[in-house]
Amino acid sequence: MSAEKAYSVLGLFDTPNALMQAIPKVRAAKAGTVEAYTPYPIHGIDDALGLRRSPLGGMVLVMGVLGALTAFGFEYWISAIDYPIITGGKSPSSWEAFIPIMFEVTVLFATFTAGLGMLLLLNRLPFFGHPVLSSKSIKGITRDRFALAIEAEGEDFDAAAAARILQDAGAVEVEVLPAPDRSPFLTSTYILRTLGGIFVACAVAGFGIYTLTKWFPVLRPMVNMQDQPRLNAQKASTFFKDGRGMQAPVKGTVARGYLPTATGTQDASAALVNPLPRTKEVFAVGRKAYLNRCEVCHGAVGNGVGSLTAAYGAKPANLQSQQFLDYPDGKMYWAIVNGKNAMPSHAADLNESQRWAVIHYVRALQRAQNAKDEDLKVVAP
Amino acid sequence: MSQPKASPLIYGAVALGAVGVIATYLAAGPQRFWANWVMWFVLIFTMGLGALFIAALEHLVNAKWSVPIRRIPERIATLLLPAIPIGLIALGALPVLYPGTRPEAAHHPILAGKAFWLSIPFFSVRTLIAFALVLVGLTVLVGGSLKQDTTRDPAFNIRARKFAPAFMAIFALVITVVAFDWISGLTPEWYSDIFGVYIFAGAFLSGLAATALSVLYLQGQDRLAGVRGDHLYNLGGFLFAFTVFWSYIGFAQYMLMWYANMPDEVIYYKVRLAGMWRYITIALGAMHFILPFFVLVTRDAKQDPRRLRRVAFLMLAAHVLDIYWLIFPILGGKPLLGWPELSFALFFIGGILLWLRAAMEKGEDMPVGDPFLREGLEFRL
Repeated sequence: MSAEKAYSVLGLFDTPNALMQAIPKVRAAKAGTVEAYTPYPIHGIDDALGLRRSPLGGMVLVMGVLGALTAFGFEYWISAIDYPIITGGKSPSSWEAFIPIMFEVTVLFATFTAGLGMLLLLNRLPFFGHPVLSSKSIKGITRDRFALAIEAEGEDFDAAAAARILQDAGAVEVEVLPAPDRSPFLTSTYILRTLGGIFVACAVAGFGIYTLTKWFPVLRPMVNMQDQPRLNAQKASTFFKDGRGMQAPVKGTVARGYLPTATGTQDASAALVNPLPRTKEVFAVGRKAYLNRCEVCHGAVGNGVGSLTAAYGAKPANLQSQQFLDYPDGKMYWAIVNGKNAMPSHAADLNESQRWAVIHYVRALQRAQNAKDEDLKVVAP
Repeated sequence: MSQPKASPLIYGAVALGAVGVIATYLAAGPQRFWANWVMWFVLIFTMGLGALFIAALEHLVNAKWSVPIRRIPERIATLLLPAIPIGLIALGALPVLYPGTRPEAAHHPILAGKAFWLSIPFFSVRTLIAFALVLVGLTVLVGGSLKQDTTRDPAFNIRARKFAPAFMAIFALVITVVAFDWISGLTPEWYSDIFGVYIFAGAFLSGLAATALSVLYLQGQDRLAGVRGDHLYNLGGFLFAFTVFWSYIGFAQYMLMWYANMPDEVIYYKVRLAGMWRYITIALGAMHFILPFFVLVTRDAKQDPRRLRRVAFLMLAAHVLDIYWLIFPILGGKPLLGWPELSFALFFIGGILLWLRAAMEKGEDMPVGDPFLREGLEFRL
C-alpha cells in the first residue's frame, strides 16, 4: 500500500449472517482490533466480537442506590432536622412520606447515568471526526450493509494483508480508511463554539419572549403561577357564609405543644403548680418578659412604682406587700391570663411558659427584697 | 421418555395432610378450617389464573420468544380445574368467615347498603360466573393449543389472537372476583380501589414463578431442547419487573391510607402492624421485594438456572405469605401457625405437585404445531 497511514481496513458484507460468520475468521487472523459497524443491533454480536461486559449496569446500580440515599438524606434533613413541621399529624421523620421522592430520584440518577454514561463516558461522544464517517460506504452501513473493520494497532500494520483477510472471510468490498490528520477528539474550538451557540440561543429566546410579550401584552407565556385557582389570605370569598376567604380556627383549637393551663375561677386556680424549673434560662425569660410587660406598672423591683404609674393615675399592686408574698402561684397565673381590676389580660402577649417564668421572676424579686440570713453566702476573704 | 414415578413421600404427605385437614375442622373449629381453605383456594386459583394470563399475553402481544415454553404455563393453568371444586367447597366459608352474609349485617350502617352484593346467593352467582369464564378461557387457549399438536393447524393462532383481548377482560373480571369478593369480602367495611391490581400482581408473579420452576424442572430432564438462557432471561426479567410492580402497588395502597388516616381504612394496616403481625409485614416486604430485587438485578442472575430456581421458590413462598397476611388477621389476635396450617400446606402443596406432575405429561413439551415455534427457538437477546 501507499505510504499513507491507515486507520483501519473496512470489509463490507451484504447480510448480518455473512458478517457473523466472518467475525471468528477475522479475529483468528489477529491482524488488529476487530470492530463491526451495523445499521441495527445484531443479537449475539457482542459475544462474537469478544467485547467485555459493559460496566454500565454496575454504574447504574451504584448511582441508583446513591440517588435513593441522597433523596432520603435530603428529605430527612429538611423535614426532621432543619425545619420540622408536623403535617397531617405525622411525625416529621416518617419514612413513608419519603418513599415517592426516593423512588423518583433513584430513577433520575439511574437513567441519567445510563444515558450520559453510555453516550459520554463509554462511547466518548460527541466524536465527529471518526474516520468511518468519511468512508464512501458509510451510507450503506447506516442503511442496509454490514461492515467489519480491522483497526491498526501500532506502526507495523499491513493494510494489504488485512484487506486480504477480510476478502478471504467473504467481504464483498474492501476499503482502506486513512488515518485522520488531526486528533478527532473534542477540540477547544468545538467546545467554545458549542457553548457560544447555546448562549446565543438562550439570549435570542429570552429577549425574543421579553420583547414579544412587551409589544403584545395579550400573549402571556406562562400564567399558571399567576392565575391560581386558590384563595389568598385577606381576600373575600363567596364560598363561606361570612364572605371571608380566611377562616378562624375552630373554637377550642390549640397550637401543638402549647396546651394552655386550664383556669376556672381565681380561687380554683390557686391549686396550680408552676411547671417550670428554677433555672438560669427560665429566670432570663421571666426577667425579659417582666421588664417588657409588667415593669411599666409594677416597677422594676415589683413594688408597684413603675414608670407609668404617675401618668396613669391607677394604683398597681405592690408585689412586695405581704398579700402577694403569700399569694399562690396559681392565683398570680390566673391574674396574668384574665387580668384583674385595671390590669388587662396578658394572655395574648405572654405564652404559657413566659407566664410561668414571670412568676418565678416575681418570686425572685420578692426574695431579693426580703433576703434572709442564710441567703448570704460567705465568700472566702 | 420415562417419567420417574411420583415419590411415595408426596402421597404420604397428601394423606397425612388430609387427615390433618379433617382434624382441623373437628378439633380447631370451623373458623380456622375455612380460613385455611379459602387461603389455599385463592393460592391455587391465582397460580392457575396467572399461568393462563401468561399464555394469553403471548397471543395478545404477538410474542415469539415465549412460544417454545408456552406449553408450560398452559399446563400449569390446568390447576384451575381442581381449583373450581375447591372453590365450590369454599362457598361453605361464606356464613362463617364473611361478615356481610350474617343477619346482623342488615343493621350495620355500612354493610346494610351492600347487603345484596354481599349476600350468599349473589356472592355464589358471581363466583360461578367467574368459574364459567375461566373454563371458557381454558378451553380456547389451552384446549385449542393442545389440539394444535396433532392438527398442526395455524388457524388456532388466529383464533387465539382474536380471543386474547377478550380474555383480558375476562381475566380482569375474574381477578376482581378473587380480590374483592374472596379476600376483601372478609373485611367488607374496608375497601381499596387498587386491591384488584394488587392481587393481579401477586397472581401473575406466582404463575411466573411456577412457570420458571417447571421450565427448569423439564430442562433438568432434557425435555426442552432449544430453550436457552435467553428464554430464561425473559422469565427472570418478568419476575424482576413484577416484584417491583407488586411493591409499587402495595406501597401505593399503604401510603395513601397512611396519609389520609381514615379510621375505616387505616384499621386494615393497624391490625397488620400490631404485635407479631408487624414482623410478618416486614418479612413480607423483605421476601416479596427487597430480596428478589437485589438477587435478580444482575443480568447473570436472570439466566442462571440455580439462582432463578431459588428466586422462583422464594416468590412462591412470598405469595403464600402475602395471602396469609391478607386473610389470617381476620381471625383476630396473634398469627396462627400450628398443625392445622401445616396439614393444609402438606395436603395442598402435595396435591398441586401431583397435579402438575400429571399435567407436565399433557401434549408435547413444546407447541409443535405452532408455526412460530422455530422463530421462538431462534430467539436471542
